[in-house]
Amino acid sequence: MRTVLLASLRTHTRRYVAAVLAVTIGVGFVVATNAIASAARDGMVAGVALPYDDADAVVTDLSGAEAVTLVDRAARAGDSAAVLGWTMQPVRGSRVSDRVDVGAIADDPVLRWQVVEEGRFPRGPGEAVADVNAAKSEGVGVGDPLTVGAGSRAVEVTVVGLVDSPSASVGATLYLPWSEVTAWSQTLYVDSVAYRGAGPEELSGVPGTVRDVDEFVEDRSTELSQGVNVLAYVLLLFAAIALTVAVLVIANTFSILFAQRTRDFALLRCVGATRRQVLRSVRVEALLLGAVSSVVGVVAGAGLGLGLVALVRELSPRAPLGAVSFSPAWLAAALVTGLVVTLLAAWLPTRKVVRVSPLAALRPDQDVDVHTAAGRLRIGLGLALVVGGVGLLAASVAVTSVAPMLAGGIASFSGLLLLGPVLVPALIRLGGGALGRVGGTTARLATGNAVRNPRRTAATTASLLVGVTLTTAVLTGLATARGSIDGEMATQHPVDLTLTATGDPLPTTLVGDVRATPDVAAAVAVEGVRAEVSHGVGDLRVLTVPDDAGTVTHAALPRPRPGEIWLPYDVAPDARRVAVTVGGRDVTLRVRLGEGWDLAGLVAPATLARLGDPAPQAVWVRAGGGADAEDVAGDLEALAVNVDAELGNGLAQRAYVTLQLDVLTGAVVGLLGIAVVIALVGIGNTLGLSVLERGREHSLLRALGLTRRQLRATLATEAVLLSVVATVLGTAVGVAYAWVGNEAMVRPLVDDSPMVLPVRQLALVVVVAGLAGLASCLLPARRAARVAPAAGLATD
Amino acid sequence: MTQILSSSTDLPTSGFAAVARGLTRTYGRGDAAVHALRGVDLGLPVGRFTAIMGPSGSGKSTLMHCLAGLDQPTSGSVAVAGTALEDLDDTALTLFRREHLGFVFQSFNLLPMLTAGQNILLPLELAGRQPDRQRHDELIATLGLGDRLTHRPHELSGGQQQRVAIARALVHEPAVVFADEPTGNLDSESSAEVLGHLRRTVRELGQTVVMVTHELDAAAYADDVVVIADGTIRAHLVEPSADQLVATLRGER
Ligand SMILES: Nc1ncnc2c1ncn2[C@@H]1O[C@H](COP(=O)(O)OP(=O)(O)OP(=O)(O)O)[C@@H](O)[C@H]1O
Ligand SMILES: [Mg+2]
Repeated sequence: MRTVLLASLRTHTRRYVAAVLAVTIGVGFVVATNAIASAARDGMVAGVALPYDDADAVVTDLSGAEAVTLVDRAARAGDSAAVLGWTMQPVRGSRVSDRVDVGAIADDPVLRWQVVEEGRFPRGPGEAVADVNAAKSEGVGVGDPLTVGAGSRAVEVTVVGLVDSPSASVGATLYLPWSEVTAWSQTLYVDSVAYRGAGPEELSGVPGTVRDVDEFVEDRSTELSQGVNVLAYVLLLFAAIALTVAVLVIANTFSILFAQRTRDFALLRCVGATRRQVLRSVRVEALLLGAVSSVVGVVAGAGLGLGLVALVRELSPRAPLGAVSFSPAWLAAALVTGLVVTLLAAWLPTRKVVRVSPLAALRPDQDVDVHTAAGRLRIGLGLALVVGGVGLLAASVAVTSVAPMLAGGIASFSGLLLLGPVLVPALIRLGGGALGRVGGTTARLATGNAVRNPRRTAATTASLLVGVTLTTAVLTGLATARGSIDGEMATQHPVDLTLTATGDPLPTTLVGDVRATPDVAAAVAVEGVRAEVSHGVGDLRVLTVPDDAGTVTHAALPRPRPGEIWLPYDVAPDARRVAVTVGGRDVTLRVRLGEGWDLAGLVAPATLARLGDPAPQAVWVRAGGGADAEDVAGDLEALAVNVDAELGNGLAQRAYVTLQLDVLTGAVVGLLGIAVVIALVGIGNTLGLSVLERGREHSLLRALGLTRRQLRATLATEAVLLSVVATVLGTAVGVAYAWVGNEAMVRPLVDDSPMVLPVRQLALVVVVAGLAGLASCLLPARRAARVAPAAGLATD
Repeated sequence: MTQILSSSTDLPTSGFAAVARGLTRTYGRGDAAVHALRGVDLGLPVGRFTAIMGPSGSGKSTLMHCLAGLDQPTSGSVAVAGTALEDLDDTALTLFRREHLGFVFQSFNLLPMLTAGQNILLPLELAGRQPDRQRHDELIATLGLGDRLTHRPHELSGGQQQRVAIARALVHEPAVVFADEPTGNLDSESSAEVLGHLRRTVRELGQTVVMVTHELDAAAYADDVVVIADGTIRAHLVEPSADQLVATLRGER
């Protein structure tokens, strides 16, 4: 049997390429996950201990105000304390983005954990240092002047140094001296305070939780490391999906190969090979295949992981990625997974091999069985699963519960896969019939070829069906989420852009100029006065919401009642009532807090009349749909400079959130894309194997007058039919699942979460699948068309 | 009456359905080269049933493939129905085949996914032509396929399959029908039926038929017999008697 095994491996190696590729991609995915997770863990945990190196105790669970008290207490006691945390502040100057995280530099040089790379540490107020990696991406350099914060709490600082601050938990972009940061104590998030000079016992009276340094650092490391584990699990989930698809592809490859070799097996049995011998020989073949592809997968995955980590570090120096370290256990697990997946996939097809009777070899030239009827049992089971699954899904919508939804989803999808041999060919006939009217013979031949072996057709499309269903469900889910988030963002940033006077009132012509700016959909002038507000708020425009504000806002702005003033959170005073002074006139108003109208106070028209003569103080702008946030802001900035006004940019904030959603969508689709790629390799493979099988048919057709181009077109049509039908079916099912998911999981939490269909994305999925199907048939079609008619007729 | 045509290097094209000049076909190269045809000059007259005979491996199939434009000769030229095949590229050759030639092979003649009727109409469909209804119905009737048209190939006997193949080969009124051992897989009764059909098309429709065979019985249906051995033409017999044919063939064994 050894000679047979070796000879068959030699002759069939090329036919196994797709199976090897499928396993390799899956295993490579697992190994690359190890690389990324290890680098992330290293990067996250590396700097954790740094800020606490010289501390004697760590205090956590503090508010900003409590942190200020604690630092004062330390100073009084002759100890020192460093507050580790950050506050998000608007920063202007240089290229720094709108809001950045601002942290503190400890007064005590010993507790300064940042390392100066360039320049020096601040010597007092008015000086700041920036994280060296952040500085690179934000375009900040030593000597740059920056305005940090808003309103009366804004401070002017000069960047005097760039520091390395490699802590994933408490690193910030800008570091200002503690004395400056205390101004924002209200919005300061305090992660922890490193206390030097007293141990945990002596600090028992202070607010918050006092902890031992080593214990704290260890807990923190574990916490971060667990975060990385979650990331790894998520990646492995996608790897599992890819491997599941790989199983489908490999099983299909084996079925086709073994069907093609039925006569070989029968002949072997004729000349005296036992069932067991034949079975063992094909199982060993599968084992070798699994071993080779797993090893290739491990090597490729390791290379890919190292490459990806290097690439991310190059592109984004701030990413907390450390050194890659491969864990032997993980690599071994990846190898074993590859082997198990291959053997599992080969199990069913190899069992069929054993059933081949020696007689099969003696029958005259038989074609591969054309009519493999889908068994009744299979159809019955499939129907039962689909009906039961749909029932469960309906129940989950009715009672808004997740458990029946998962069970119903799995049951109905399994049923769908079982019904594949009936359903998919029927759909292909439908699509092919439509094509036949325009495509003629080519399309008709292609349809016939695509459906002639229903089980193979179904198995080929199943892998793509899995990938596409998941992708469209996720796309639709994310689009729906985006719908609700857009609503949220509209309340937070009801106005796209604002121009607010910084000196004299704005010229009345400004509104016209703004309206004439490209990509501006609407603009309204806002009346108000310049006022002085007590309790640390300072110089501020006090405005009234114009009647026609509705033309520019995405969501309703507060309508202040007389006697009220709405202030933005950024300048929140530490009192419930403030005194608003205009030209010596004093009015006391009740404070309400909100956001979305930039840096200004909002009052009722009646209140404004009491304060003074209203003049145009701001222009609110709505950008056209699809306008580029930066372009519009740039154009308006140019107008603002001329009239002494300041630009507020809610659009950029919204664009940032949209970008994050885009990145999330891209990441998920990209990860699922790996499964889809494997599925497409499978389609190309089935087609390639079918082409080998149909060599004589193709020669006959060519002899009878089918041109090369027509032959290629026939194969291309077949590939496109297979992939598009699977994609359309997958899209329909995926969208249905997304709808059920939305009804069962999101509805109970958010009352108004209408389903959003990302029509363009879904159409793109279908088009891409069609093109990829086309691409997958390129090689088989070329090979088929190259064969001379006579040469094909000679093959036996 | 019997005569032996002399092979000459300058055969006239008129009056011949297919003409080959200095035809060679070599498979492989160097030491492994196999000379399947070593300079064949041949003219096949219009409206006659010609059998090509010779021992196994003598180059019969190769000759037929070259004549029919299914394979490129290594050197030499072929003209079929007045068209020089070497001037045609692959697409033109394909179009030529589907317009002017018909084929019947020993086995695997029919596409398994098409019915008998669809198989018969395939050449016309590929060419985008409408069938000549009258000819089509006549063919079906003569070949006795009327009640079999909706069956798929695997539901037909070997003889029926070959008759479907003959119908397909004739439906578009080709200049020449090429048949490579069309009865190789059939019992003597079915063979006689199939060969009878082929001869009738020659007699009644003036069709030109070229048939490769190594059965004497089959050759008896033909008008002329070309004897080939070791890649060269040994004799071109016109209406040979059985004895003469046997004698010529024996000389080659
Ligand atoms: N593709 C090929 N590669 C190499 N040699 C070939 C090829 N096809 C045919 N031959 C060789 O060319 C010679 C003629 O082959 P051909 O098939 O024409 O013979 P034939 O007369 O049809 O034989 P048979 O009666 O057995 O069908 C043989 O020696 C054969 O081995
Ligand atoms: Mg032959």
